[in-house]
Formats: sequence, C-alpha cells, structure tokens
Amino acid sequence: MPTKIKNILLILITAVFLLGFSVWSVLKPDEKESVSERRQLAEFPVLNMETVLTGEFMSSFEKYTLDHFPLRDGFRTVKAVTSFYIFRQKDNHDIYIENGYASKLEYPMNTESVRYAAERFRFVYKQFIAGTDMKVYLSVIPDKNYFMAKANGYPSMDYEVFISEITSEMDFAQYIDISSHLELSDYYRTDTHWRQEKIFDVAAGLASAMGVSLKGEYVEKKAETPFYGVYYGQSALPLPADKIYYLDNQMLNQCRVYDYETDTYLPVYNLEKLNGNDPYEMFLSGSKSLLTIENPSVSNGKELIIFRDSFGSSLAPLLAEGYEKITLVDIRYISPNLLEQFLDFENQDVLFLYSTSVLNNSITIK
Amino acid sequence: MLFSSIPFLYYFLPGVILLYFAVPRCLKNSVILLSSLFFYAWGEPEYLFFMLISITQGYIFGILIEKYHDRKWSKIFLAASVLISLGLLGYCKYADFFIRNFNAATGLSIPLLNIALPIGISFYTFQILSYVIDVYRGDTEAQKNYINLAAYIAMFPQLIAGPIVRYTDIAGQLQNRKHSLEDIAAGIRRFLTGLSKKILIANILGELVSVYKASQEKSLLFLWVYAIAYMLHVYFDFSGYSDMAIGLGRVFGFHFPENFNYPYISGSITEFWRRWHMSLGTWFRDYLYIPLGGNRGSKSRWLFNIFIVWMATGFWHGAEWNFVLWGIFFAVLLMAEKLWLLKMLNKIKLRIVKHIYTLFLVTVSFVIFDAASAGEAFSTISAMLGFSALSPVSFESIYYLKSYGVILAVAMVAATPLMAGFIRKIRQAKYGTSVLNVFELVYLTALLAVCTAYLIDGSFNPFLYFRF
Repeated sequence: MPTKIKNILLILITAVFLLGFSVWSVLKPDEKESVSERRQLAEFPVLNMETVLTGEFMSSFEKYTLDHFPLRDGFRTVKAVTSFYIFRQKDNHDIYIENGYASKLEYPMNTESVRYAAERFRFVYKQFIAGTDMKVYLSVIPDKNYFMAKANGYPSMDYEVFISEITSEMDFAQYIDISSHLELSDYYRTDTHWRQEKIFDVAAGLASAMGVSLKGEYVEKKAETPFYGVYYGQSALPLPADKIYYLDNQMLNQCRVYDYETDTYLPVYNLEKLNGNDPYEMFLSGSKSLLTIENPSVSNGKELIIFRDSFGSSLAPLLAEGYEKITLVDIRYISPNLLEQFLDFENQDVLFLYSTSVLNNSITIK
Repeated sequence: MLFSSIPFLYYFLPGVILLYFAVPRCLKNSVILLSSLFFYAWGEPEYLFFMLISITQGYIFGILIEKYHDRKWSKIFLAASVLISLGLLGYCKYADFFIRNFNAATGLSIPLLNIALPIGISFYTFQILSYVIDVYRGDTEAQKNYINLAAYIAMFPQLIAGPIVRYTDIAGQLQNRKHSLEDIAAGIRRFLTGLSKKILIANILGELVSVYKASQEKSLLFLWVYAIAYMLHVYFDFSGYSDMAIGLGRVFGFHFPENFNYPYISGSITEFWRRWHMSLGTWFRDYLYIPLGGNRGSKSRWLFNIFIVWMATGFWHGAEWNFVLWGIFFAVLLMAEKLWLLKMLNKIKLRIVKHIYTLFLVTVSFVIFDAASAGEAFSTISAMLGFSALSPVSFESIYYLKSYGVILAVAMVAATPLMAGFIRKIRQAKYGTSVLNVFELVYLTALLAVCTAYLIDGSFNPFLYFRF
C-alpha cells in the first residue's frame, strides 16, 4: 500500500472512529442501569455556574460519558480479553477464572473487619440473648477462594487464622464447621453464591449440630432462565451461563414467608425474580432485612433465628422442615437496635451464618 | 482535562479539530487559544486567572523589553517579568514548603496557605520565562499579537505536562504554518502511540506500584519489582504524554521539540540526562547553567553551578525534600562522572556493564522520587540493598510478578529502540513498506479501540507529571 494512501486511510479511520462514537454517544438514548454490572448508571450532571466553578460538573460529566458510551459492555469485554489473554494478567479487577469458575480475590484477611463484625454480633448477643437459655451457634461459609485460590497460585487468606479469629471473638457462640460438606462444585460458576441443590448436606449438618434432624425429601426443579452471576458482569468475559435449580416439596409450598418491610407474605421461591437483574433473588426474594418462614407442617415447638447474609436465602428453606418458625435477620439492612420492635428473643436457637466475604468486608453491617 | 479520557478523545478533540480546519487561517490561532482556555478551565476553572495573569504580564513586558532594548529599563522590565512569573510559581507551589520548614526550624506555627497547585504552572511559567529572556537577549522579536502569544503559552497539547516548547521553537509556525496530510497522519500516529504508552503500559504498571504499596506481604523481590515497575511507569507516563503532545501539535501544524530519546539505553548518567526530559534539561542549561558561568571559571565554580542547576531541577519537580534530594543525587553523580567516573566508564568495553550501572542508579533515583519523605527513601533503598528483615520472596510477589510479567517485558522492550530498528529492517525489504503500511493501519486502529476499552473499563488514569 502506498504511503500516501495509508496516510489518507489513517486519517479517515481515526476521524470516523472518534467522530462516529462521538455522534453515536450524543444521539444514543441514556440507559438507567447496567444489567451486567447490576448498578445504576450515572445521569447527566446538573449544569449551572456553581457546579462548573467547583468542577463538580466536569467530574460528573466524565462518569456520565463512561457509563453511557456506545457498546460499553463490548468495550469492557475487549479490555478483559486484552488483560487476560494478551497481557496474560492473572486477574482483571481481582476477578480470576480457573477451570470455568470465576471468583474474586478475597485477600488479604482484614482483621479489623472481622473484629468489627464480631463486635456487632456481640452487641446483638448482649442486647437480646445474654442471660437467657437460648443456644447460640456460629457458622462461617467459605467463599470460592477457599477451594480454588491457593491451589491455582492465587493469593488467599489463611482460613484457619480467619476462623480462629472470628471464633475467639465470638466465644459466646458454638462454632459449627460446614467446610467439610462443601466443595467448589457446590458453588455457581459465575456467581459468588452456593447452589441450593448441592447444599442439603450443609443444612443437615447445621441442623444436626443444633439438635434437629432433616429428611431432605425434595424434588429438584430447574429454573428456565439462564443465570449470569455477579462475576459474569464484573469479569466482562463471555462466560457460559449457570443454571439455577431449587429444591421443592409440598411442605415448602405450605410455608408462609412474612416480609416485615412490606408487611406482605412472599413465596419461598419467588420465580418472578428470575427475570430480574439477579436471578439468585428468587430465594426468599433476595435482600430483605427481616423475614419469617412459618411452617404449618411442623409442630415441635422449635424456632430458629438466623443472622445471615445472602447465602442464608437459599439455605434457610432447607432448614424449614425442622422448625415451626425461622426468622431471618440481615443486619446489613436493619439496625440491631430496632429488632426488639419486631422480635421476641425467647426459646429460640440463634445461628450466626455468614460468608467469609461479608465478614472480611463488614463495613455494611450495622 | 486529560488526554487519556473519554471527554477529551470523543468530545473535545473532534470538536476542536473540526472547528480548527473549518475556520480561515487568520482565525486558527484564536481557535487554539479559546479551545486551550476551555481545556484548562475544564479541570481547574479557578486557576485560569493565574495563567491569564502570567500570559498578560509576559506579553506586556515582552513588548516593553523590546521597546527599551539596550537600555536600563529593559533590564528592569525583564526583572519585573521574571519576578512576577517566579512569584506566582513560588506562591502557588513553594510557599507552604518554606512555611513548613521555617516553622520546623524556628518552632513558630505560621499557618499554611494550603493552595492547591494549579496544573501545568511549572511548564507554562518556564515557557513565559524563556520568552521574555529571549526577547531581552535579542534572540527573538516580541510578539505583538496577544492572541498569538497566548495561543503559544496556553496551547492545550503542551500546556500541562510539556514538552517545554520555547517561543523561538515555534515563533515562525505561530504566524505561518503548513498543514499537510502527511503531518496530520504523522501526528495521529504519534498521538495514538503516546496514548497507548500511557494507558496500556504506564497505567497498568501504576496498578502494580499501587499493589506493592498496599501489600502486607512485602519481600525483597517485590521491592525490586516495584522499583523497576515505577521506573518504567514514570517513563511511559511522561514520554507517552510528550508523544501525545507532539502528535497533537503536528496535527495543528506545529513541530514541537522531542522530549525523550530512549533514556534507559544510556551508558552513563550524563547520557541519561541528554535523553530524559530534554526540553527541561536544555531549558536549565540555557537559562540557568550558562548564565551562572557553565564550565567556565574555576573547577569549584563549575561544580557549584552543576549543584545549583540540579538542585533547582529537583525542586522544580516538587516542593518536598525528596525532590531536592533527587536533584542532589543526580548532581553528585554528574559531578563524579565529569571529574573521573566517565573516564573509567569509557574504558569499559562491555556496554552492558555501563547499562547496569546507569539503570541501577536511575532505579534508585526514582525510589527517591516516589518516596513520601527523605526518610522513607533511605529506608527503601536500604531494603533494596538487603539491609532489612524482608524475606527474599513471598507468595504475593510471585503472583504479581507472573500477573504483570508480560507488561513488564513489553515495557522493557518498548523502552529500547529494538522495535524501531526491526521496523527499519522490514522497511528495507522488498514490499516491506507496503506490508508495514497495512500493518500500521490495523494496529493503530486496534490500539485506539483497546485504549478506549481500557478507559471505559477503569478510572485509574491520573497523569504523573501534572503535579509539577
């Protein structure tokens, strides 16, 4: 190709690229949220003398242009592919992929965070449980890195030290080790959570340690919607979708889930959520501060209060057959100070069930 | 506004280029000036005022210096202009440094001014200084057209991180410059190369540096990886910006001076400074070192001149002791080389030894440069030399070395003229130029797409040299 033609083509290509995307981004209607990243996108900033003089308009405008750039997800994939496959980087924004499983580096251990979480749990204990006959249990759900980080050369926390730290800080609770019931295949490939159809043994182990036996007679059902987990969007790589299965039976159909926030009853499995941004929210309708699962099929007088994170949403239904009532409290969304307005702490067992990811990043716990 | 940002690349730049080539020749400098003021105000609207004061005083005193040429008043006007320029720079950049140190020395507690440093003030101040001094020396005529002078000083391609373009370099081009397809294409090529150096190498190495600093599992290996990564990061950050500036200038018909010439292939510190930040080096040579007497006079006076120039060079980079220490470090090395070390180095036939000598000292210098304090610099250098309790290797250091290994290797190769030599050889082959032309189109387009992808994906993007 003659140099003169190359020069003309270079100018044309660059001009078309810059001007084309420039015009496209101006004409393109704004979207409200990013499905892949599960977040609201920036809105066009307020333009007035004050926002211009303080520079607020300019910085907000940059965020706006980044959020609304045409083919944004495609460009993010280009970046991820370049990072992983050309620069051979081991992770992209801390997300890494091994054997088809995506995970996020959970490293290093944040001792302060673990202690803060334990301190908040101790507050709950002192406020509502100390001095009663209620039994208190603690169980920690290992994140996927427990199974895949160190073995594949990724930095990982020392989980023994982690467990030792949280158990010593929560000496008021009996620790139930569930790690032996878990393996990597018990987790979704593209998401942080565990698969409900794989964790009945976890539920049975927990229940057994709390003096309850479970039969576990369920029918495994498949949700038709493909499940693109949280790491799918964060990794920006074209990973195959997961499938959601859930365990169902007549007993669960009769259970009533009461949502204190909305003063309504919800289904145990909210299939409408399968079409939302996070299909995992089908389990007990996702992020809820305070729920009770009332089981009319059981009349053994046993009740359980679970202080939990999102992992508890898929586990709690499997514990339902052992209790008349299970209360689920997520103190990331409700202050413990408000609990006595809704709950009576008497004669229940109490389980603190948290994942290592939440304990290691516990700033959201109230 | 950053060059490596979506607002610049996809809003500002296309708009300015369209406007620039749409208006008649007589309005082109006005377009450059107005767009440059917008560019500057986008980041820091409140500091536009400082820049306009500097430009205006440079314009007025330039004319007065010329008018009273060879008379006492000429010197007075020059002194006034220099004082105002340095006064503004001193007030914005160095006032708090002096107050802090004065307080520390006297035990007083004079309140700090807490002035945020206007971006690019060190660069445009030096350009104004060179302009008025050149007018005083009679090396150039004073610019009578305010727009032309303001367009030269505020010109957005080189406004905030250089190269330090002297008025004499582009005086003729300000009045009359040609635009050609060849220049525009060369400018685009240079700009995209610089953009890629910044986004695909400097920013990624910057991540590695941040990872090291946040690490709780430091080791000797990790420390050296950090030091080398930081050294490469600074080079690709700054030379990438210079490439973008030179490329953009060329699109608008200007030919700016080069700022870097593969400094990391140098065989001595003397050679390194002939290849690193050349526009700053020559500025200090012409406007400080030579007026001080240069190498004329006694040996002690010569060494004193070197010391002053390099301390000033360090201080120009920042109002902190580590920058002063950085300048003194180079002053000592340059003095040693000029007195005897260079003779010894020249006797060494193995060039690799000279490279290792230079790169080691440059790496150490950038550890000083990056340190939060002089004390931290000393402790980091001691640790690099093995005087610490750091373990030799850690799991984390191996992980990050593997994760950033390709980028480090790419950066090391790209810091040398190896690729340029390789391309030259291909060009000499039959059909070599044609093949390379096709390849160039493909890879430059791919680089633009990948750079855009990195910009959209991340927000780690600050330019290092903006603080100077």
